[in-house]
Amino acid sequence: MIVVKDLKRYYGIGETAVRALNGVSFEITKSEFVAIMGASGSGKTTLLRILALLDDATDGIYTIRGLEVSSLPEAERSFYRLTQVGYVFQDYALINEMSAAENVYVLSMMEGKSKKESYITALEALDKVGLKEKHDRVPGELSGGEKQRVAIARAIAKKPDIMFADEPCANLDTNNSKQVLDVFKELNEKYGQTIIMVTHEPWHVEYVSRVITLEDGIVISDENRQNNKISPK
Amino acid sequence: MINDIRVGALIAYCSIKRGNKKTLTFIVFVLSLIFLNLVFLPSMIGGLLGMFTGFIQDYPYGDIVIEPTDGNAYINNADNVLKKVRAVEGVRAATKRLDVGASINHKQKVVGVMITGMLPTEEYDVSRYPYIVSEGNFLSDLSRDEIIIGAIIAGTGHGSEIYDNLGEVRPGSFVDVTYSNGVKRNYKVKGIMEGTFEIVDLNALVHYKEIEDVYGLEGKEATSVVVRVTDQGTETRVRDKIREAGVNEQIFTWADKSESLIRQAMQSMGAIDIMSKIVSLIVGAALVLIITYINVMNRKKEIGILKAVGITPRSIVVSYAFLSTFYVLLGIFAGLILYFTLMLYFQANPVVFYETIEISPVIDHVLLVQSIVTMLTLSVIAGILPAWSVSRESILKAIWGQ
Repeated sequence: MIVVKDLKRYYGIGETAVRALNGVSFEITKSEFVAIMGASGSGKTTLLRILALLDDATDGIYTIRGLEVSSLPEAERSFYRLTQVGYVFQDYALINEMSAAENVYVLSMMEGKSKKESYITALEALDKVGLKEKHDRVPGELSGGEKQRVAIARAIAKKPDIMFADEPCANLDTNNSKQVLDVFKELNEKYGQTIIMVTHEPWHVEYVSRVITLEDGIVISDENRQNNKISPK
Repeated sequence: MINDIRVGALIAYCSIKRGNKKTLTFIVFVLSLIFLNLVFLPSMIGGLLGMFTGFIQDYPYGDIVIEPTDGNAYINNADNVLKKVRAVEGVRAATKRLDVGASINHKQKVVGVMITGMLPTEEYDVSRYPYIVSEGNFLSDLSRDEIIIGAIIAGTGHGSEIYDNLGEVRPGSFVDVTYSNGVKRNYKVKGIMEGTFEIVDLNALVHYKEIEDVYGLEGKEATSVVVRVTDQGTETRVRDKIREAGVNEQIFTWADKSESLIRQAMQSMGAIDIMSKIVSLIVGAALVLIITYINVMNRKKEIGILKAVGITPRSIVVSYAFLSTFYVLLGIFAGLILYFTLMLYFQANPVVFYETIEISPVIDHVLLVQSIVTMLTLSVIAGILPAWSVSRESILKAIWGQ
């Protein structure tokens, strides 16, 4: 589903250039729940942003379902982000002046659905993350875990091919983190949602099927946890 | 595009519904002041012009004035003209006048003036001269060897210090008048008139018969026939009817006369008016730009998030267009309330100008519509520019400042 070949991302030029990604390659198949791990500065967030089409690679190939997405013009990337990709931010990134439902259904409206249809879709997504009853609450009236679950609902409402999550539990306590990860796991196991999550918490690997570890911009290990098989690089 | 509008409207609606009400109040307040600035001064200038043209109507020219054809000093058959004019539908009153040049001498002080010979009883229906006598009395049909002197010439009116005047002339004083043909007459001052209008207060009035006698006229001549119409606004139509009635002299409406008389003044005021509007609009547009810019900067991350989740830049710009429109409409509404409140106040308490002239602002509906449209257009453009700029920034820069 996803093929990444020799992906590079440099900041700056010449000798002083920072090589955030220095030739990353891997493939991800449908319905995998992948954790990208690594120390601070290893390049995991940079990688995720490129995969989610929020940033451009300096070099390398990145395809989704065989389509070379990294070279798409901005308008098509925007459309791809809207229809094919869900993104869960570390700090929830909800619009504070919108209710939970509005935060979710604004994307459905962007896709051209009617307001009623969008609202129903939003309630279904909020139901999946256990927040249907709080659909009319604004982010300021929700706990950190609830906000993150609204962000997940926003990401899954459009039924994306892939969902990306950038340290979704970084601002949450253990209890809320477990709730969020449970939601991810359920989405993955029950609905076959492909999820790629950046994390630095070792205990999060219990929830995922695969762990890719980065160090200094390269993949140093690729562990398939279902088969408990480690693929050192 | 329709999806962009729907989403833009939703974002703007949520922003208005749940946004900071104090900020909204502040923005609306500032915009209302900008709107007020845009319409208040022109209303005052309109009031000033209205007052000036009012003077023109009330004293020298009436609503319509008939003057001799080019090359003639007099309307030679003024009574016949008056007869025709009075028969025209829409004419309320009319009278004839004789304006001549003269100098007035009092205790060795000499002042050059325009003296108007008039029929006093007819003036009550045609002009305000009979009603502005501040000391003494107005002329009567029996007034001979009597004169009404403008307050500035008399030396008692406001502004007399900057003009030549006769010193403290009072009713009962005697003055010597030397007409332009050299004839001298001695008159008793019957009254002092004060119209707070220089053309009036630098003038003097005598009975029509006095001028006839001095110039040897035969009771038919006039330098002007002054006409008042029944309904204001019908002057042009009545003028045309007077022409159709066979009056072949030059016929002017008060507007024609104002245009030639105060063209320069109007042009000066017009220039001030235009400059004031331009400055107001620039300041207004700049303020809206700043307000929106600060607003956009505060929401830069939000814009980045919206883009990151797939909302198009066009939707974001549309949302700010809606927001700006909403702010400006509220600002205009609040500005209109302020404006009409001030109009009511200043109409009840006119601005005193030159110590005696009271200026009340005039509500000009065309000006209001123009100002609303202009402010709306400029403000919406100024409002969406920052949004357009930020919506084109990269997502990473907008969200994380990278």
